[in-house]
Amino acid sequence: MIGVAVGGGKTGTDQAASDRAARLGACLLRARDGETAALNEIISELNPLLWHVARGEGLGAEEAADVVQTSWLELLRRLHEIRSPQALTSWLVTATRREAWRVRELSRRQAADGTARLESAPDPDPGPGELLLADERDQILWRHVQRLPERCRQLLRIVAHVPRPDYAAVASAMAMPVGSIGPTRGRCLAKLREMLQADPGWSA
Amino acid sequence: MTSPADLPLSDEDQAVLDRLAEVYARLDPAPADLNARVSFAVALAGVDAEVARLSEQLAVGSGARSSERTRTITFDADSRTVMITIADQADGLVRLDGWLAPGAELRVELRMPEPAQPRNVIADAAGRFAFDGVPHGIAQLLVHPPAGDAAPRVVTPAFSL
Repeated sequence: MIGVAVGGGKTGTDQAASDRAARLGACLLRARDGETAALNEIISELNPLLWHVARGEGLGAEEAADVVQTSWLELLRRLHEIRSPQALTSWLVTATRREAWRVRELSRRQAADGTARLESAPDPDPGPGELLLADERDQILWRHVQRLPERCRQLLRIVAHVPRPDYAAVASAMAMPVGSIGPTRGRCLAKLREMLQADPGWSA
Repeated sequence: MTSPADLPLSDEDQAVLDRLAEVYARLDPAPADLNARVSFAVALAGVDAEVARLSEQLAVGSGARSSERTRTITFDADSRTVMITIADQADGLVRLDGWLAPGAELRVELRMPEPAQPRNVIADAAGRFAFDGVPHGIAQLLVHPPAGDAAPRVVTPAFSL
């Protein structure tokens, strides 16, 4: 059962997670009643996740920002149907992925046409990022993450930004059976942990 | 029933994920204005608004002077396509020429972040419209249905001028 810890009592992290879910739930209700401040709070809460979902699909920075924006615009038409913060996260992740695929296809087709895109080609994953990381443990972590298979990197990138109680919702949004994101997440994390533990710079 | 996905992570894995989130935040942060841009774009949208998605963005080439940039952006909604050409003017402002398809004499609104006031023009029967002397910054277009018509408004995402 590597990577899936058996939970005992409520840890501080669990408490913070359920506080956050309660706060988002309240914001959702107020946003559905048309309160702008509540909607803005939800936006700043979930934008980092959506940004990494769009970037994880291989979009350039400008394109990713457009995609995130379009998902929010689409959400407003459906907001009255969304009942829980988990459903909200799931809906937005799904919409963002779908829109990202659409935009990626468009870019590809236009590139094939030889049409000059104003946008640059999609940026790959941040490359030799170690130069930007001052902390040595961050550098080590990044180096090992880069060695993971593509699918693991994509998954961990998103999972790292998913609020804890929303894992199940995101699993379904990622079109994976709920039972499988845990083990998959667990396997990716186990692999990463193995590499980290073998690195003297990390365990020191 | 609790699925494995809902089980808490070990503290160690949680710490690795938290650190990874920070690494990504440093290496590939969302643009600083992303929240502001989204908040601006959704402020006037709603249940009754149809979203026109960005479908093409092209550099059309430079104008007479190399400092002049022209580009076209196409937005597709179910009911209508909105195409705009954005050209730099000599005075540092921009001119926006637009075209609705299918064409109709509809009110087109150009929204900019406050304190700028929204500007309105009526497209001609062929769907053409224009805004002159618009400052650089972010903007959004809304195409309003004729008064008394239950058709939805069409809203574009916010774009940079």
